[in-house]
Amino acid sequence: MSTGSRSAYWFVAPAIILMGLIFFIPVLMALGLGFTNYSLGNSGFDFVAFENFEKIFTRRSYEKMWGATLTYVLVVVPLSVLLGLAAALAINSVTRFRDVYKTIYFLPVMATLMAMAIVWQIMLHPTAGVINRTLASGCDVEFAYGVLSGAYFGFDPLTSWYGNACADVMPNWLGDKKYAIWVICFIGVWQNFGFNMVLYLAGLTSVSRELYMAAQMDGAGSAWDRFRLVTWPALGPTTVFVVTISTIRGFQVFDIVEAFYGFGSAGPGKSAYVMMFAIFEKGIKQNLIGIGSAITIIFLIFVMFITLVQRYLVERRVHYS
Amino acid sequence: MSYDIGNSLKHTALILGALVVILPFYFMLSYSLQSQREIETGLSPGGVNAGFFGSQSLVLDKDCLQANTPERKEIEVAKTSYPGKTEREIYNILLKEVETSCSSRPALMNYSMAFTKAPLLRYLLNGVIVTLSIFLIQVVVALPAAYALAKLRFLGRDFIFSIVLLCLLVPVHAIALPLYVILAKLGLTNTYAALIIPWTISVFGIFLMRQFFLTVPDDLIDAARMDGMSEFSIIWRVMLPTAVPALLAFGIFSVVAHWNDYFWPRVVITGDPNLFTPPLGMRVFKQDTEGDLHGPMMAVAVIVVAPLMIAFLMAQKRFIEGITFTGMK
Repeated sequence: MSTGSRSAYWFVAPAIILMGLIFFIPVLMALGLGFTNYSLGNSGFDFVAFENFEKIFTRRSYEKMWGATLTYVLVVVPLSVLLGLAAALAINSVTRFRDVYKTIYFLPVMATLMAMAIVWQIMLHPTAGVINRTLASGCDVEFAYGVLSGAYFGFDPLTSWYGNACADVMPNWLGDKKYAIWVICFIGVWQNFGFNMVLYLAGLTSVSRELYMAAQMDGAGSAWDRFRLVTWPALGPTTVFVVTISTIRGFQVFDIVEAFYGFGSAGPGKSAYVMMFAIFEKGIKQNLIGIGSAITIIFLIFVMFITLVQRYLVERRVHYS
Repeated sequence: MSYDIGNSLKHTALILGALVVILPFYFMLSYSLQSQREIETGLSPGGVNAGFFGSQSLVLDKDCLQANTPERKEIEVAKTSYPGKTEREIYNILLKEVETSCSSRPALMNYSMAFTKAPLLRYLLNGVIVTLSIFLIQVVVALPAAYALAKLRFLGRDFIFSIVLLCLLVPVHAIALPLYVILAKLGLTNTYAALIIPWTISVFGIFLMRQFFLTVPDDLIDAARMDGMSEFSIIWRVMLPTAVPALLAFGIFSVVAHWNDYFWPRVVITGDPNLFTPPLGMRVFKQDTEGDLHGPMMAVAVIVVAPLMIAFLMAQKRFIEGITFTGMK
């Protein structure tokens, strides 16, 4: 208790003040403003109780928000976690080019998402984009058309997706309600799974060799048995963490949507109206701080909930190790 | 034998995955070198496949042509050099000259337009100012706090640490709206301060550095105290040097996050292009040139993405360690 106990307060003071200003006050403000109809520039505001929340859970435009957000999270989290795990297992089991694969898969994690979203948009252009041009050129190649449209397998080509696209027009990936949110999910997976991969690779280094040997002696011969009995349980804590962080990041998707549809709408028929976009649009663009804060509160509740589940799972696991 | 088949299957899958991952990077680079026509059709003049580099045949900059189209006055002046020609002929000769001077190779044109169509240098400079300020302030705030939490005993230490853990749960992007309201009330939107302030404290940095300092032996600090060093200089002259690896990891994490961040700048910067960060500038560039200047747009993208990519490729181990290490709380 002697040396430095007084200076200690000086050392933590800036951090405490900033935590108060940047975390506590804003969270409290959101908690308060979510129950009002506050707007910047207005002199007063009213307490509206749960009116904002009622809107969020009943109005049609927010139905779109839930649809888009949950679709994104429920597609991107499992896929990016599974692909991350698969990539990590594959890379871990080969002997050559490990670093090359690791580097390539990690590139999208580092790259400015805004830049990459614009590249994807050019590639996905309905007529001039390289993806549809490639698809369209396949229509004239008998073999490609036969395989992709199912004609070679005795199906009516016009009942297949590809046959239809060849006969009619190639899909408008970003402008068609049918595809937009799925394309955004694809780009989300493309960007995120490399991050999960490196976390799993780090997790794999901690799986001890003895466990595999013990499993082998107990008769777990096949690769699947080894994975099921040793690798997967050992990766449990990593999985819990990876799923948590992917989910929290998933709720924050914004850049891709703004890059594609940007300064106005949120995709065809609002099909890409994700939560952060809603907060931005309502709270900042339309100056409806009350509604924006209510969405913020819901967002924070989600984050808390996910973290509590994570903590619970982690603590339950402690007994095993 | 079965091992070999399994192995080649794995490599095949990994290579296919790698191709999909790399595809947009390939096209970003390739498009930044090609003309608009080549980007849109995939074909070079004469109908051959444009390939990676395109044909690099001359293209005309229409804006340049428009700005320099020969006018009445210039034709009058030129009359003396072309005796006996009609005005129409002189006009055509002059126009040819302008066209030649306004034509250039697509690669060159794209990259020069990237800097002339928008103040890209300014955006990059802003990006550097903002990311570096954020990192420096984060370190200045986090190191002393982490040192106190790890190595000093004082009343309330555990409580303060639990506050740090609590803040760790809140993603700053999630509370962007109330932060924006505060900054707007203070009249700080559209300033560098608005770009930097919400990130001045990294609770994560404090947590990370504290965990690191816990592993530093107490003897080292006691020896420094014996030498008569103040607690303040212990932080900067004893702890800081030992913390370089952890700081580097944290620095990579911080710089990557804020160089790439689009959401926060989009919230607090409205309109003043002098404050745009690279992702924001890129977004506005796209808006202003909608669909028209893919080549220059891609050149901008390459320039914005390149610094981190090059740093990453040169020090991949450190980057991957940094991001994983910082990811694993």
